[in-house]
Amino acid sequence: MTLNDETKPIYVQIAEWLENEILNGNFKPNEKVYSQYQLAEIFTVNPATAAKGLNLLVQENLLYKKRGLGMFVTNHAKDSILEKRKSHTLKRLVYELVIEAKRLNVSEDELINMIHKVSEDVKGESK
Amino acid sequence: MTVIRCQNVTKSYGRNKILNNISFQIDKNKITGVIGPNGVGKTTLLRIIAGYIKKTSGEIKVFSEDPFQSLTVSANTIFISDQMMLPPTLTLSEIIKSSSQFYQNFDIDLAQKLFDYFPLKKVQYYDKLSKGMRSTFQAIIEIAARCPLTIFDEPTTGMDTGVRKDFYRALLKDYIAHPRTILISSHYLNEMEDLLEDVLVLKEGKIRLHLSISEMKEWAIGFRGDETTLHKWIKDNKILHTQEIGKYEKYVVLKNDFSEEQLYQARQDGINISFVSPSDLSVYLTDENRGGIDHVFQ
Repeated sequence: MTLNDETKPIYVQIAEWLENEILNGNFKPNEKVYSQYQLAEIFTVNPATAAKGLNLLVQENLLYKKRGLGMFVTNHAKDSILEKRKSHTLKRLVYELVIEAKRLNVSEDELINMIHKVSEDVKGESK
Repeated sequence: MTVIRCQNVTKSYGRNKILNNISFQIDKNKITGVIGPNGVGKTTLLRIIAGYIKKTSGEIKVFSEDPFQSLTVSANTIFISDQMMLPPTLTLSEIIKSSSQFYQNFDIDLAQKLFDYFPLKKVQYYDKLSKGMRSTFQAIIEIAARCPLTIFDEPTTGMDTGVRKDFYRALLKDYIAHPRTILISSHYLNEMEDLLEDVLVLKEGKIRLHLSISEMKEWAIGFRGDETTLHKWIKDNKILHTQEIGKYEKYVVLKNDFSEEQLYQARQDGINISFVSPSDLSVYLTDENRGGIDHVFQ
Protein backbone atom coordinates (compact mmCIF):
# COMPACT_ATOMS: atom_id res chain seq x y z
CA MET A 1 0.00 0.00 0.00
CA THR A 2 0.97 3.62 -0.30
CA LEU A 3 0.89 5.46 3.00
CA ASN A 4 0.17 8.86 1.54
CA ASP A 5 -3.42 8.93 0.41
CA GLU A 6 -3.85 8.35 -3.28
CA THR A 7 -4.49 11.64 -4.97
CA LYS A 8 -7.86 12.42 -6.47
CA PRO A 9 -8.81 10.96 -9.84
CA ILE A 10 -7.36 13.04 -12.64
CA TYR A 11 -10.77 14.07 -14.01
CA VAL A 12 -11.64 15.56 -10.62
CA GLN A 13 -8.34 17.42 -10.63
CA ILE A 14 -9.12 18.80 -14.09
CA ALA A 15 -12.59 19.89 -12.94
CA GLU A 16 -11.07 21.62 -9.90
CA TRP A 17 -8.47 23.33 -12.06
CA LEU A 18 -11.23 24.71 -14.29
CA GLU A 19 -13.12 25.83 -11.19
CA ASN A 20 -10.03 27.73 -10.05
CA GLU A 21 -9.76 29.37 -13.46
CA ILE A 22 -13.36 30.51 -13.10
CA LEU A 23 -12.75 31.74 -9.53
CA ASN A 24 -9.68 33.69 -10.68
CA GLY A 25 -11.75 35.35 -13.33
CA ASN A 26 -9.75 33.80 -16.17
CA PHE A 27 -13.04 32.50 -17.53
CA LYS A 28 -15.95 34.93 -17.33
CA PRO A 29 -19.68 34.10 -17.46
CA ASN A 30 -20.72 32.94 -20.93
CA GLU A 31 -17.11 32.62 -22.02
CA LYS A 32 -16.01 29.45 -23.80
CA VAL A 33 -13.74 27.12 -21.82
CA TYR A 34 -11.17 24.63 -23.13
CA SER A 35 -12.40 21.69 -25.19
CA GLN A 36 -11.77 18.10 -24.07
CA TYR A 37 -8.96 17.89 -26.64
CA GLN A 38 -7.26 21.06 -25.45
CA LEU A 39 -7.50 19.83 -21.85
CA ALA A 40 -6.16 16.42 -22.89
CA GLU A 41 -3.12 18.15 -24.37
CA ILE A 42 -2.58 20.47 -21.43
CA PHE A 43 -2.59 17.64 -18.91
CA THR A 44 -1.39 14.76 -21.12
CA VAL A 45 -4.49 12.69 -20.44
CA ASN A 46 -6.90 10.71 -22.55
CA PRO A 47 -9.56 12.98 -24.12
CA ALA A 48 -12.28 10.76 -22.58
CA THR A 49 -10.88 11.53 -19.12
CA ALA A 50 -10.84 15.26 -19.90
CA ALA A 51 -14.45 15.01 -21.10
CA LYS A 52 -15.38 13.43 -17.79
CA GLY A 53 -13.96 16.43 -15.96
CA LEU A 54 -15.98 18.81 -18.15
CA ASN A 55 -19.15 16.77 -17.67
CA LEU A 56 -18.72 16.94 -13.92
CA LEU A 57 -18.98 20.73 -14.20
CA VAL A 58 -21.96 20.48 -16.55
CA GLN A 59 -23.76 18.29 -14.00
CA GLU A 60 -23.14 20.91 -11.36
CA ASN A 61 -24.47 23.62 -13.66
CA LEU A 62 -21.18 25.45 -13.71
CA LEU A 63 -20.82 24.95 -17.45
CA TYR A 64 -23.40 24.62 -20.20
CA LYS A 65 -23.14 23.01 -23.60
CA LYS A 66 -23.83 24.68 -26.90
CA ARG A 67 -24.21 22.01 -29.49
CA GLY A 68 -21.27 22.06 -31.90
CA LEU A 69 -19.73 25.11 -30.28
CA GLY A 70 -18.35 23.89 -26.98
CA MET A 71 -18.77 24.47 -23.26
CA PHE A 72 -19.46 27.84 -21.68
CA VAL A 73 -19.41 29.24 -18.13
CA THR A 74 -22.84 29.76 -16.57
CA ASN A 75 -23.79 33.10 -15.04
CA HIS A 76 -23.80 31.93 -11.46
CA ALA A 77 -20.76 29.60 -11.75
CA LYS A 78 -18.44 31.66 -9.59
CA ASP A 79 -20.94 32.01 -6.73
CA SER A 80 -21.83 28.33 -6.89
CA ILE A 81 -18.18 27.31 -6.67
CA LEU A 82 -17.60 29.57 -3.67
CA GLU A 83 -20.70 28.17 -1.98
CA LYS A 84 -19.70 24.57 -2.76
CA ARG A 85 -16.16 24.99 -1.49
CA LYS A 86 -17.48 26.47 1.73
CA SER A 87 -20.07 23.82 2.40
CA HIS A 88 -17.98 20.84 1.23
CA THR A 89 -14.24 21.42 1.10
CA LEU A 90 -14.01 23.66 4.12
CA LYS A 91 -16.37 21.44 6.11
CA ARG A 92 -14.25 18.39 5.33
CA LEU A 93 -11.05 20.16 6.33
CA VAL A 94 -12.64 21.23 9.60
CA TYR A 95 -13.82 17.66 10.16
CA GLU A 96 -10.30 16.34 9.70
CA LEU A 97 -8.99 19.05 12.01
CA VAL A 98 -11.45 18.10 14.75
CA ILE A 99 -10.64 14.38 14.43
CA GLU A 100 -6.91 15.05 14.66
CA ALA A 101 -7.44 17.33 17.68
CA LYS A 102 -9.43 14.59 19.39
CA ARG A 103 -6.67 12.09 18.73
CA LEU A 104 -4.16 14.47 20.32
CA ASN A 105 -6.41 15.25 23.30
CA VAL A 106 -6.63 18.89 22.30
CA SER A 107 -9.75 20.43 23.81
CA GLU A 108 -12.27 22.40 21.80
CA ASP A 109 -11.25 25.67 23.45
CA GLU A 110 -7.60 25.00 22.80
CA LEU A 111 -8.36 24.28 19.16
CA ILE A 112 -10.39 27.45 18.75
CA ASN A 113 -7.56 29.44 20.32
CA MET A 114 -5.15 27.92 17.85
CA ILE A 115 -7.41 28.91 14.98
CA HIS A 116 -7.61 32.47 16.32
CA LYS A 117 -3.85 32.63 16.59
CA VAL A 118 -3.27 31.41 13.02
CA SER A 119 -5.95 33.76 11.79
CA GLU A 120 -4.17 36.72 13.46
CA ASP A 121 -0.83 35.65 12.00
CA VAL A 122 -2.32 35.48 8.52
CA LYS A 123 -3.82 38.95 8.93
CA GLY A 124 -0.43 40.25 10.09
CA GLU A 125 1.32 38.75 7.07
CA SER A 126 -1.04 40.29 4.58
CA LYS A 127 -0.55 43.79 6.04
CA MET B 1 -18.01 0.45 -33.89
CA THR B 2 -16.14 -2.63 -32.79
CA VAL B 3 -12.63 -3.12 -34.16
CA ILE B 4 -11.66 -6.30 -32.32
CA ARG B 5 -14.08 -9.03 -31.31
CA CYS B 6 -12.74 -12.08 -29.48
CA GLN B 7 -15.06 -14.94 -28.67
CA ASN B 8 -13.95 -17.93 -26.62
CA VAL B 9 -10.44 -17.68 -27.98
CA THR B 10 -8.00 -20.29 -26.75
CA LYS B 11 -4.35 -20.67 -27.64
CA SER B 12 -2.37 -23.65 -26.50
CA TYR B 13 1.11 -24.93 -27.14
CA GLY B 14 0.91 -28.66 -26.51
CA ARG B 15 -0.87 -29.09 -23.19
CA ASN B 16 0.00 -25.61 -22.10
CA LYS B 17 -2.96 -23.25 -22.42
CA ILE B 18 -1.60 -19.73 -22.84
CA LEU B 19 -4.99 -18.14 -23.46
CA ASN B 20 -8.00 -19.86 -21.97
CA ASN B 21 -11.36 -19.18 -23.55
CA ILE B 22 -11.28 -15.41 -23.57
CA SER B 23 -13.95 -13.07 -24.91
CA PHE B 24 -13.91 -9.29 -25.22
CA GLN B 25 -14.48 -6.42 -27.62
CA ILE B 26 -12.44 -3.32 -28.35
CA ASP B 27 -14.24 -0.27 -29.71
CA LYS B 28 -12.94 2.00 -32.41
CA ASN B 29 -10.55 4.83 -31.52
CA LYS B 30 -10.07 3.89 -27.89
CA ILE B 31 -6.72 3.55 -26.17
CA THR B 32 -6.74 0.32 -24.17
CA GLY B 33 -4.03 -0.85 -21.79
CA VAL B 34 -3.37 -4.59 -21.74
CA ILE B 35 -2.15 -5.30 -18.23
CA GLY B 36 -0.90 -8.36 -16.42
CA PRO B 37 2.20 -9.96 -14.94
CA ASN B 38 4.90 -11.62 -16.99
CA GLY B 39 3.94 -14.80 -18.80
CA VAL B 40 0.21 -14.24 -18.60
CA GLY B 41 -0.36 -14.27 -22.35
CA LYS B 42 -0.34 -10.57 -23.22
CA THR B 43 2.06 -10.86 -26.14
CA THR B 44 0.35 -14.02 -27.42
CA LEU B 45 -2.97 -12.21 -27.45
CA LEU B 46 -1.50 -9.23 -29.30
CA ARG B 47 0.16 -11.53 -31.86
CA ILE B 48 -3.15 -13.28 -32.52
CA ILE B 49 -4.91 -9.94 -32.97
CA ALA B 50 -2.23 -8.76 -35.42
CA GLY B 51 -2.59 -12.02 -37.35
CA TYR B 52 0.99 -13.18 -36.69
CA ILE B 53 -0.09 -16.49 -35.17
CA LYS B 54 -3.19 -18.63 -35.31
CA LYS B 55 -5.57 -19.17 -32.44
CA THR B 56 -6.20 -22.78 -31.39
CA SER B 57 -9.97 -22.43 -31.08
CA GLY B 58 -12.70 -19.83 -30.79
CA GLU B 59 -13.45 -16.89 -33.02
CA ILE B 60 -11.58 -13.65 -33.55
CA LYS B 61 -12.52 -10.82 -35.85
CA VAL B 62 -10.41 -7.75 -36.50
CA PHE B 63 -12.03 -5.24 -38.87
CA SER B 64 -14.66 -7.99 -39.27
CA GLU B 65 -12.10 -10.49 -40.62
CA ASP B 66 -10.11 -13.36 -39.19
CA PRO B 67 -6.74 -11.62 -38.81
CA PHE B 68 -4.62 -14.65 -39.74
CA GLN B 69 -3.54 -14.19 -43.37
CA SER B 70 -5.89 -11.25 -43.87
CA LEU B 71 -4.69 -8.50 -46.17
CA THR B 72 -7.15 -6.00 -44.70
CA VAL B 73 -5.80 -6.62 -41.22
CA SER B 74 -2.13 -6.39 -42.18
CA ALA B 75 -2.66 -3.21 -44.20
CA ASN B 76 -4.46 -1.54 -41.30
CA THR B 77 -2.47 -2.85 -38.35
CA ILE B 78 1.00 -2.08 -37.11
CA PHE B 79 2.69 -4.12 -34.41
CA ILE B 80 6.44 -4.05 -34.13
CA SER B 81 7.52 -6.59 -31.58
CA ASP B 82 10.93 -7.40 -30.20
CA GLN B 83 10.77 -10.71 -31.95
CA MET B 84 10.50 -9.00 -35.30
CA MET B 85 13.64 -8.94 -37.41
CA LEU B 86 14.36 -5.60 -39.01
CA PRO B 87 16.75 -5.83 -41.96
CA PRO B 88 20.34 -5.53 -40.70
CA THR B 89 21.68 -4.17 -44.00
CA LEU B 90 19.44 -1.10 -44.05
CA THR B 91 20.21 2.08 -42.15
CA LEU B 92 17.57 3.50 -39.83
CA SER B 93 16.46 6.13 -42.30
CA GLU B 94 16.22 3.50 -45.04
CA ILE B 95 14.02 1.41 -42.76
CA ILE B 96 11.75 4.39 -42.19
CA LYS B 97 11.56 5.06 -45.91
CA SER B 98 10.60 1.50 -46.74
CA SER B 99 8.11 1.28 -43.85
CA SER B 100 6.38 4.33 -45.26
CA GLN B 101 5.69 2.40 -48.44
CA PHE B 102 3.76 -0.26 -46.54
CA TYR B 103 1.38 2.04 -44.73
CA GLN B 104 -1.05 4.32 -46.49
CA ASN B 105 -1.23 7.01 -43.79
CA PHE B 106 2.48 7.00 -42.93
CA ASP B 107 3.65 10.54 -42.15
CA ILE B 108 7.31 10.54 -43.13
CA ASP B 109 7.67 14.14 -42.11
CA LEU B 110 6.61 13.38 -38.55
CA ALA B 111 8.91 10.35 -38.48
CA GLN B 112 11.87 12.53 -39.50
CA LYS B 113 11.07 15.16 -36.89
CA LEU B 114 10.76 12.59 -34.11
CA PHE B 115 13.92 10.97 -35.37
CA ASP B 116 15.85 14.23 -35.07
CA TYR B 117 14.31 15.08 -31.71
CA PHE B 118 15.22 11.83 -29.98
CA PRO B 119 18.40 11.95 -31.59
CA LEU B 120 19.03 8.79 -33.53
CA LYS B 121 21.62 8.84 -36.28
CA LYS B 122 20.20 8.27 -39.72
CA VAL B 123 23.15 6.15 -40.84
CA GLN B 124 23.00 3.87 -37.82
CA TYR B 125 21.96 0.23 -38.06
CA TYR B 126 19.17 -1.24 -35.95
CA ASP B 127 21.32 -4.11 -34.69
CA LYS B 128 23.82 -1.67 -33.22
CA LEU B 129 21.26 0.23 -31.16
CA SER B 130 20.90 -0.06 -27.39
CA LYS B 131 17.70 -1.54 -25.96
CA GLY B 132 16.20 1.84 -25.18
CA MET B 133 17.06 3.24 -28.59
CA ARG B 134 15.51 0.26 -30.33
CA SER B 135 12.31 0.86 -28.40
CA THR B 136 12.41 4.53 -29.35
CA PHE B 137 12.97 3.71 -33.01
CA GLN B 138 10.08 1.21 -33.03
CA ALA B 139 7.83 3.74 -31.33
CA ILE B 140 8.63 6.39 -33.95
CA ILE B 141 7.63 4.06 -36.78
CA GLU B 142 4.48 2.95 -34.99
CA ILE B 143 3.31 6.48 -34.25
CA ALA B 144 4.15 7.82 -37.72
CA ALA B 145 2.41 4.89 -39.44
CA ARG B 146 -0.96 6.18 -38.18
CA CYS B 147 -2.52 2.75 -38.60
CA PRO B 148 -6.21 2.36 -37.73
CA LEU B 149 -5.08 -0.36 -35.33
CA THR B 150 -1.79 0.37 -33.57
CA ILE B 151 -0.38 -2.21 -31.16
CA PHE B 152 2.46 -1.58 -28.73
CA ASP B 153 3.98 -4.41 -26.72
CA GLU B 154 5.98 -3.03 -23.79
CA PRO B 155 6.90 0.02 -25.87
CA THR B 156 8.96 1.71 -23.17
CA THR B 157 11.34 -1.17 -22.40
CA GLY B 158 14.78 0.29 -21.80
CA MET B 159 13.72 3.91 -22.38
CA ASP B 160 14.85 6.36 -19.74
CA THR B 161 12.26 8.37 -17.82
CA GLY B 162 12.56 11.44 -20.02
CA VAL B 163 12.10 9.49 -23.24
CA ARG B 164 9.16 7.57 -21.75
CA LYS B 165 7.39 10.83 -20.91
CA ASP B 166 8.08 12.21 -24.37
CA PHE B 167 6.82 9.01 -25.95
CA TYR B 168 3.49 9.11 -24.07
CA ARG B 169 3.04 12.77 -24.95
CA ALA B 170 3.94 12.28 -28.62
CA LEU B 171 1.52 9.37 -28.83
CA LEU B 172 -1.28 11.34 -27.19
CA LYS B 173 -0.79 14.42 -29.35
CA ASP B 174 -0.80 12.41 -32.54
CA TYR B 175 -3.79 10.40 -31.33
CA ILE B 176 -5.79 13.59 -30.66
CA ALA B 177 -4.99 14.87 -34.16
CA HIS B 178 -5.48 11.47 -35.80
CA PRO B 179 -7.66 9.18 -33.65
CA ARG B 180 -7.06 5.45 -34.01
CA THR B 181 -7.53 2.27 -32.04
CA ILE B 182 -4.54 1.66 -29.82
CA LEU B 183 -3.55 -1.31 -27.67
CA ILE B 184 -0.62 -0.93 -25.29
CA SER B 185 0.70 -3.68 -23.08
CA SER B 186 2.86 -2.55 -20.21
CA HIS B 187 3.96 -3.21 -16.65
CA TYR B 188 4.05 0.48 -15.93
CA LEU B 189 0.34 1.11 -15.51
CA ASN B 190 0.95 3.98 -13.10
CA GLU B 191 2.84 6.10 -15.59
CA MET B 192 0.51 5.52 -18.51
CA GLU B 193 -2.87 5.31 -16.79
CA ASP B 194 -3.74 8.91 -17.68
CA LEU B 195 -3.25 8.07 -21.33
CA LEU B 196 -5.70 5.17 -21.30
CA GLU B 197 -9.43 5.10 -21.74
CA ASP B 198 -9.91 1.39 -21.00
CA VAL B 199 -7.99 -1.33 -19.24
CA LEU B 200 -7.93 -5.05 -19.95
CA VAL B 201 -6.44 -7.02 -17.07
CA LEU B 202 -5.25 -10.55 -17.87
CA LYS B 203 -4.74 -13.25 -15.29
CA GLU B 204 -3.58 -16.79 -16.01
CA GLY B 205 -4.71 -16.66 -19.62
CA LYS B 206 -8.11 -15.19 -18.78
CA ILE B 207 -9.65 -11.75 -18.69
CA ARG B 208 -9.84 -10.68 -15.05
CA LEU B 209 -11.29 -7.23 -15.68
CA HIS B 210 -12.20 -5.08 -18.67
CA LEU B 211 -13.45 -1.60 -17.85
CA SER B 212 -12.73 2.08 -18.19
CA ILE B 213 -9.81 3.51 -16.26
CA SER B 214 -12.12 5.79 -14.28
CA GLU B 215 -14.28 2.84 -13.25
CA MET B 216 -11.15 1.01 -12.25
CA LYS B 217 -10.15 3.88 -9.97
CA GLU B 218 -13.36 3.42 -8.01
CA TRP B 219 -13.58 -0.37 -8.30
CA ALA B 220 -11.74 -1.12 -5.08
CA ILE B 221 -11.17 0.65 -1.80
CA GLY B 222 -8.52 0.42 0.90
CA PHE B 223 -9.43 0.18 4.59
CA ARG B 224 -6.85 0.62 7.32
CA GLY B 225 -7.69 0.19 10.96
CA ASP B 226 -7.56 -2.19 13.92
CA GLU B 227 -8.69 -5.72 13.25
CA THR B 228 -11.92 -5.81 15.27
CA THR B 229 -13.27 -2.67 13.68
CA LEU B 230 -12.29 -3.92 10.25
CA HIS B 231 -14.13 -7.21 10.81
CA LYS B 232 -17.30 -5.32 11.55
CA TRP B 233 -17.11 -3.72 8.13
CA ILE B 234 -15.72 -6.44 5.93
CA LYS B 235 -18.31 -9.24 6.45
CA ASP B 236 -18.76 -10.92 3.05
CA ASN B 237 -16.86 -8.49 0.88
CA LYS B 238 -14.17 -10.16 -1.12
CA ILE B 239 -10.74 -9.28 0.21
CA LEU B 240 -8.27 -8.65 -2.59
CA HIS B 241 -5.23 -7.87 -0.53
CA THR B 242 -4.21 -7.82 3.12
CA GLN B 243 -1.21 -6.38 4.81
CA GLU B 244 -0.34 -6.16 8.48
CA ILE B 245 0.73 -2.76 9.65
CA GLY B 246 2.37 -2.84 13.02
CA LYS B 247 0.90 -5.07 15.71
CA TYR B 248 -2.73 -4.02 15.76
CA GLU B 249 -3.49 -2.56 12.40
CA LYS B 250 -4.29 -4.08 9.08
CA TYR B 251 -4.70 -2.73 5.60
CA VAL B 252 -7.22 -4.52 3.42
CA VAL B 253 -8.31 -3.88 -0.13
CA LEU B 254 -11.94 -4.69 -0.91
CA LYS B 255 -14.20 -4.47 -3.90
CA ASN B 256 -15.98 -1.16 -3.45
CA ASP B 257 -19.66 -2.05 -2.91
CA PHE B 258 -20.04 0.55 -0.19
CA SER B 259 -22.39 3.51 -0.35
CA GLU B 260 -21.18 7.02 0.48
CA GLU B 261 -23.19 6.73 3.70
CA GLN B 262 -21.44 3.50 4.72
CA LEU B 263 -18.01 4.94 3.97
CA TYR B 264 -18.85 7.93 6.11
CA GLN B 265 -19.89 5.62 8.96
CA ALA B 266 -16.72 3.56 8.59
CA ARG B 267 -14.65 6.73 8.78
CA GLN B 268 -16.52 7.67 11.95
CA ASP B 269 -15.54 4.27 13.34
CA GLY B 270 -11.93 5.26 12.93
CA ILE B 271 -11.18 3.44 9.69
CA ASN B 272 -8.78 5.17 7.38
CA ILE B 273 -10.17 4.96 3.86
CA SER B 274 -8.13 5.41 0.71
CA PHE B 275 -8.42 4.99 -3.02
CA VAL B 276 -6.52 2.13 -4.57
CA SER B 277 -4.53 3.14 -7.63
CA PRO B 278 -5.25 1.13 -10.81
CA SER B 279 -1.63 0.11 -10.83
CA ASP B 280 -1.77 -1.39 -7.31
CA LEU B 281 -5.17 -2.92 -8.01
CA SER B 282 -3.93 -4.69 -11.12
CA VAL B 283 -1.16 -6.25 -9.04
CA TYR B 284 -3.59 -7.37 -6.31
CA LEU B 285 -6.00 -8.79 -8.85
CA THR B 286 -3.42 -10.82 -10.68
CA ASP B 287 -1.80 -11.89 -7.45
CA GLU B 288 -4.95 -13.00 -5.62
CA ASN B 289 -4.07 -16.60 -4.91
CA ARG B 290 -0.44 -16.11 -4.11
CA GLY B 291 -1.03 -13.67 -1.27
CA GLY B 292 1.92 -11.43 -2.03
CA ILE B 293 5.63 -11.55 -1.35
CA ASP B 294 5.17 -11.35 2.44
CA HIS B 295 3.81 -14.90 2.47
CA VAL B 296 7.12 -16.25 1.20
CA PHE B 297 8.78 -15.01 4.35
CA GLN B 298 6.26 -16.43 6.83
